[in-house]
Amino acid sequence: MNTAVQPESEASLIEDLKRGDSTAYRRAVREYSPGMLAVARFYLDHSSAEEIVQDCWVTVIDAVQKFEGRSGLKTWLHRIVANRCKNRLRTAKREVATDFSETLEPELANRFNSTGRWDLPPKLQFHDSADTLMENGALSDCLDKHLSALPETQRSALMLYEAHQHKSDDVCNILDVSASNLRVLLHRARQKIFLMVETFQETGEC
Amino acid sequence: MLMCRDLAEIASDYIDGELNGRQNLSVKMHLMMCKDCRTFIGNLRASSNLLSAHSSGKADEEFLRRIDQRVAEALEDRKSGNANNE
Repeated sequence: MNTAVQPESEASLIEDLKRGDSTAYRRAVREYSPGMLAVARFYLDHSSAEEIVQDCWVTVIDAVQKFEGRSGLKTWLHRIVANRCKNRLRTAKREVATDFSETLEPELANRFNSTGRWDLPPKLQFHDSADTLMENGALSDCLDKHLSALPETQRSALMLYEAHQHKSDDVCNILDVSASNLRVLLHRARQKIFLMVETFQETGEC
Repeated sequence: MLMCRDLAEIASDYIDGELNGRQNLSVKMHLMMCKDCRTFIGNLRASSNLLSAHSSGKADEEFLRRIDQRVAEALEDRKSGNANNE
């Protein structure tokens, strides 16, 4: 599914937003809020995330006047949300940093023998398409549970890259991480999701 | 020679097309010979697709309407502010 605003229509949308056109705002709110909310949810609980997104839209009314289009509108909006969330969190909590020198999750690393071959190879193939798998409500709930348990940095990297289809450069920019560290974050997070789906398919349990 | 563990370490880079030509070729050669790694790569890719499908949901309409209202009020404030300044 690709509902992204095309470049030409994005340019005209930005002009309409700069003029304060309320119809353009309604369109932009529907187009971009789900992604903005997803970014905010990586940092904050649901109600705080909704509050941040609402505040950001009010900020956008003035800030868009200075928007020069150096990044896409979506990236710009996500960066505003991420910065605001990070500011709110700065004094609230600190998390244990990901160890960037380890590219394998311990649970996966233990499945290889000393010669580097599989000791415990993946047994099942995930045959179903993603859409079919998502029709399984229990799996969807399990995925939610595991996503919320990921370290904040891994979750943000994964969601911005996978779900909101940002390019690597944009994700690095939004999250302030280097390209090589982003690769580690993405890989570690994907392995956790892989291990979760594997357990779910083998045992039916989350 | 690339071992299964080495491949697992760079599997996401392979999926995302981030490897250089030589690394990419060694992964492809390994995959031709190793069924377990083919399954692993396939499953890791499926996990990544699953995540895209899972997260493309829409925000609920009630929430969007609340934003519309905040935006409409803020636009109105600015209009009346501008009018007072003229």
